[in-house]
Amino acid sequence: MIGESGVATRLKGTWFGEALSPHASDRLSAIGELRRVDAGAVLLREGAECDRFGILLDGLLSLRVAVAGRGRATLMTVEPGETFGWSAVVPPYRSTSTVVALQPSEVIVFDAEKLRALLREDEALAVTVYPRLLQVVSRRLVATRTQLLDLYARDREYEPW
Amino acid sequence: MVIAAGNVFLPRARLDALFDLLHEGGRTIIGPTVRDGMLVLDRLERVEDLPIGWRDEQAPGRYRLVRGATERAFDVVNGQMSWKQFTFPPKQKVGMMRRDEAGSVAFAAVPPDPPRLAFLGVRACELAALGIQDRVLAGGTFVDEDYRARRESALVVAVQCGRAGDACFCASMGTGPEVRGGHDLVMSELDAGFVVSAGSPAGERLLARLPGRVASPAEEAEASASVAAVRAAQGDPVVIEGLRDRLMDQLDSPRWEEVADRCLACANCTMVCPTCFCTSTAITSDLDGRVNVAERHWDSCFTAGFAKVAGGNFRPERSDRYRQWLTHKFATWVDQFGTYGCVGCARCITWCPVGIDVREELAAIAPPAAPPEQLLTRPAAATPGRFEVVTLRASQRETADTTSLFLQPTEPALLAGLPGQFVMVEQPGFPSLPISVSRYGTDELVLTVRAAGPATAALIAEAPGAQIGLRGPLGRAWPVDRALGRNVLIVTGGIGLAPLRPVLDAIVASRDRFGEVLLAYGARTPSDRLFTDELERWAQHGIEVAQIVDRAEPGWEGRVGVVTQLLDRRDFGRRPTVAFVCGPERMMQATVTTLRDRGVAPERLFVSMERHMQCGIGLCGHCQMGPYFVCRDGPVFSVGELGELFGKEGL
Repeated sequence: MIGESGVATRLKGTWFGEALSPHASDRLSAIGELRRVDAGAVLLREGAECDRFGILLDGLLSLRVAVAGRGRATLMTVEPGETFGWSAVVPPYRSTSTVVALQPSEVIVFDAEKLRALLREDEALAVTVYPRLLQVVSRRLVATRTQLLDLYARDREYEPW
Repeated sequence: MVIAAGNVFLPRARLDALFDLLHEGGRTIIGPTVRDGMLVLDRLERVEDLPIGWRDEQAPGRYRLVRGATERAFDVVNGQMSWKQFTFPPKQKVGMMRRDEAGSVAFAAVPPDPPRLAFLGVRACELAALGIQDRVLAGGTFVDEDYRARRESALVVAVQCGRAGDACFCASMGTGPEVRGGHDLVMSELDAGFVVSAGSPAGERLLARLPGRVASPAEEAEASASVAAVRAAQGDPVVIEGLRDRLMDQLDSPRWEEVADRCLACANCTMVCPTCFCTSTAITSDLDGRVNVAERHWDSCFTAGFAKVAGGNFRPERSDRYRQWLTHKFATWVDQFGTYGCVGCARCITWCPVGIDVREELAAIAPPAAPPEQLLTRPAAATPGRFEVVTLRASQRETADTTSLFLQPTEPALLAGLPGQFVMVEQPGFPSLPISVSRYGTDELVLTVRAAGPATAALIAEAPGAQIGLRGPLGRAWPVDRALGRNVLIVTGGIGLAPLRPVLDAIVASRDRFGEVLLAYGARTPSDRLFTDELERWAQHGIEVAQIVDRAEPGWEGRVGVVTQLLDRRDFGRRPTVAFVCGPERMMQATVTTLRDRGVAPERLFVSMERHMQCGIGLCGHCQMGPYFVCRDGPVFSVGELGELFGKEGL
């Protein structure tokens, strides 16, 4: 395993970590772990307890849901710098999708219980972390809406052309 | 101002009389004279001090005096010195500071004490330069009193140019060659003598006392013809129209670095420039520090320390300094003082030791917008009711609903279009369709068409050999030349890749002329992607191809989501990025918002707008959007150009 200072440096290089105060960065890094995973590795399972929050450093992740009769559908992919597992801090702490690595990937993971405990006890940390988490959720929502708009579909109103 | 009535003809032999008049009251005459093989401006005692019979040869980095064919006195055009030498001397004491034994301090400005001078032989560009320095140094809220006093005390005798210097461009700058004002007297030199007229009350008083006679109409005509010939000889080497904006739009031009490789930062150009006014003040002190003298001296924005502050230098690179100089002369000067800071005297060209030619640099950095007739081949069939008949050679299914048509025109203009242009397609019995060209081949044109209704369905269903009508290529193209030397971002969704394929073709054709290239391509599903085999080919040509789909299909292991996801966390680096965006308007808005947040300037962000087009040539009015007809003024616009129109609902 790579040392904690490695976590702090890598965290700083991400959107989530770049503007954190030294205090917040130190506290988060202390519970963060750097991990390498192979393509195909499952990081979280839809419906199961979301036991980790993570930041993708390198690689590509897919967020999948199972639909009876259609198999597993990928709803979205996660680019380096983005996060996964926001459900780790939002009740009822259950994953809303299955997170699968599409490529060999490198991630920072934070244990869900440790993260929640940290946010409960350290208000200054919570104040900087929660807006970031809300941003993650909001961006997912906006992207999903855009996908729902089906912008590339044909527009039937354009007849007779 | 030339007072037409009462112009005096002064015979050459009586030029001494003008010297006598100017010398009156102890005035010193300053004018051109030859010294050490150079033309300098210095004290003239008598007529023979003028550079009689000399003329000059000038070129970038080169200056020679040679004997001329005539005995004229003013055939040498500008030397390295300008009149600011006398109105704004290179060194000038401005103040004294004293500290007495008790420690109290006193400051005193040096009061103006201008010498009484008469400037003889001031050319039109020089008068303009004096006028520019008047605005800078004496025309604003704060005034340089020494400058003002020197200007007010000097008499100015101008001379009309009888020759153009080899590098002169006053005609372009609008400052010459005709003397238009700012003088007391102006002389036109003919072989036999001078036609002299007055430009001020002081000049009129002098003119009344000059020996000579009223100039004849023939002499007047010869004088006019002479300066007109100078204008004709010069041509119009610098295109002024829009220069300010063109230049400010090129702050990231790669050319700045290139000039900097040649530039020595020697500051010659600024020293010889008749309008440059930057100075520094040096304080010299006596040994015990009691008496200090402040002396102002010419400085230059090219010197390494000119923009230095404690802790750093705002213009550390030579390219920064050249850019500062050129954009000040030809752009920001206009904002500050209402005119260009250049009069076209050509000194900076001649006296540059490495021959950097400002005319050439301006044309390279901020090329004039070519008139549309030159930029584009005139489209075929560009009149209502007309279409060129072309033959369908083959068609190729791209996706379930999209087909490429390979069309063979006989009219060459149809093949001479640019990336992003479109054609109007006409089939008997159907309304006209605007379709962008997805590839220009050597003898065929490719249109990629999505079936959206009966007309497009009929078009796609045509069999090889079928004939259809085309008008075009029409509209404004993607400005691929703006992307030369820069990073290029092509963001597109759905069928929007088709009008961008010619851009990719152009990039692949000269890949090393562009920086990093990213194609971010969004599609509805993996099987809705166009040109899938070419996506791989582009990747092999050093183009990063990132694809993303709204909905995955079984077996798709690529990205899922919206196209902006590909850009959100990306670092565009230091090299400026030019972006070409084409897709549904909502997708372009989201992309533009993301890219602007990531620092891409709206002037370098181009979108292709879709509107209902029927004629394609700006005559039917369907495609109006604010002040534009999208077919004629677009479809490609910069986001800066569209301003608030972009993304506005209901336009």
